[in-house]
Amino acid sequence: MRAEHVRLDRVSLAFGEVSALKDVSLSLGRDEVVVVLGPSGCGKTTLLRLVAGLIAPDAGRVTVEGAPPRPGEKTALVFQSFRLIPWKSARENVAFALPRLSRAEARQRADRYLELVGLSRFAKSWPAQLSGGMRQRLALARALAAEPEILLMDEPFASLDAQARELMQVELMRLLERRPATVLFVTHSVDEALILADRILLMSPRPGRVVEEVAVPFPRPRRDTDTRALPLYAELRSHLWERLRDMVLNDPGSDFHGRR
Amino acid sequence: MAGWTGTGGRSLRPAGAGTVLVLRLLFLGLLLLLWGLASATVPRGLIPSPATTAQAAARLWAEGRLQTAIGQSLLTYGTGLGAAVLVGIPLGALMGMVRLFGRTLDIFVFALAATPRVAFIPLIIVLLGLGTEAKAMIVFLGAVMPIVLNTYAGVLARDGELIEMARSTGASAARIQLHIVLPGALPFLVVGLRLGATIGLINTVVAELYTAVTGLGGLLALYGNTFRMADYFVIVLALAAIGVIVTESLRLLEGRLSRWRLPDRP
Ligand SMILES: Nc1ncnc2c1ncn2[C@@H]1O[C@H](COP(=O)(O)OP(=O)(O)O)[C@@H](O)[C@H]1O
Ligand SMILES: [Mg+2]
Repeated sequence: MRAEHVRLDRVSLAFGEVSALKDVSLSLGRDEVVVVLGPSGCGKTTLLRLVAGLIAPDAGRVTVEGAPPRPGEKTALVFQSFRLIPWKSARENVAFALPRLSRAEARQRADRYLELVGLSRFAKSWPAQLSGGMRQRLALARALAAEPEILLMDEPFASLDAQARELMQVELMRLLERRPATVLFVTHSVDEALILADRILLMSPRPGRVVEEVAVPFPRPRRDTDTRALPLYAELRSHLWERLRDMVLNDPGSDFHGRR
Repeated sequence: MAGWTGTGGRSLRPAGAGTVLVLRLLFLGLLLLLWGLASATVPRGLIPSPATTAQAAARLWAEGRLQTAIGQSLLTYGTGLGAAVLVGIPLGALMGMVRLFGRTLDIFVFALAATPRVAFIPLIIVLLGLGTEAKAMIVFLGAVMPIVLNTYAGVLARDGELIEMARSTGASAARIQLHIVLPGALPFLVVGLRLGATIGLINTVVAELYTAVTGLGGLLALYGNTFRMADYFVIVLALAAIGVIVTESLRLLEGRLSRWRLPDRP
């Protein structure tokens, strides 16, 4: 059993009238990879912002190692839209995320992590000069360079094409083997969830809550073996698909409400 | 993206730059031709020919008048514009960063910006007299408004997503302002500087006409009123040259500051 690292205790949060999260409780073990799966609007991003310490809950408690989280202390966030600083070079973008290091140390650390994601040659390039896949690797390097205990990833590969996306999933697993971290990873994609997760949390919208937990027992490393060919993979996949489909069809706020 | 030249006069691609230079020289030639034609057709020598004007310029230079006037005008212009930059940028930035301060002040700044600045000239003369201080103040009042307002707008246009990213790294408020908000405001700021520089130059001439008559503005009035049209044209051209040099320098600066926008992939 892993030691508890992050804990949410009956957390609720509303934006005005909209209840983004209602009575959410969950626990992440140290170095566990937990994937949050759910349709849009079910509070996945809000969940990550809570764990990052960017917002506080209306009710309930969020704790990291028993204390309320503070931004940048133990967590690093990776965003879907990259959020690179356009007027800073790749190296400066990574170094910016290291406010507690001296300039020289930050540059050195940045170069190490650019190397790790294969962007050394582009250290002096601006984000506008990089391809979509390279930008996401840069965003990943920026998060990893802070050497966070907890990596929070908000649909990080959603804007990549299918091939780049698969390569990035493998890349992430390779990096986590070298330097394990607790990961809370948000996605829409059932396949991405099954490839990456130790455990999947299925969320449902209006109000956002966790409706099911699924353990994903495939052996690691998964990048060499063909996990997708396992019978259990197909079984879990169709189960999760069905749950997601039902949620979307039964959600009055969804575009597909009431369809067959 | 072949032929992409951006907006706001960023530097052109090398191939395009040569073509533009040639075309500009051709257009200048055309203007000189039209000028020559006009001087030949308009009666009573009201429009001096390019050659007469060049002679007048050489004479004014030899007499030292042109240099003296340019020096006086540049002193007024530089003092007023410099003060406008030193006051306008920090004031606009502070108004954008400290929201309560900005919300309190902005309506007054808008009101002041909408009042024709010539309205203040009698007051300035009463308070500061007719010397350099009064002139610089008139330039300052004209130039400072666009600089304040554009810096303010630039800081307000900050990117909330980038700020959240910065917060998530544990960056302090000061670090966020310095690395995210202020650099993001630079394109707006440069627009403000260009407007301020242009208005400042206009106000330099206005100041020299309304207060103690000196500098290029003073000569403009003198030669205009006494129908010394060749001399008058020299002064107009000198003012145009100053305007071009200043705004082109600011465009070069803008190009350097926004190089990161250019996708020249290696
Ligand atoms: N800053 C905000 N202001 C108002 N409503 C918000 C804000 N952030 C999220 N919401 C609302 O809260 C709900 C959950 O949002 P979010 O966490 O972004 O969902 P997800 O990431 O799963 O798509 C949505 O209905 C969304 O419209
Ligand atoms: Mg989201």
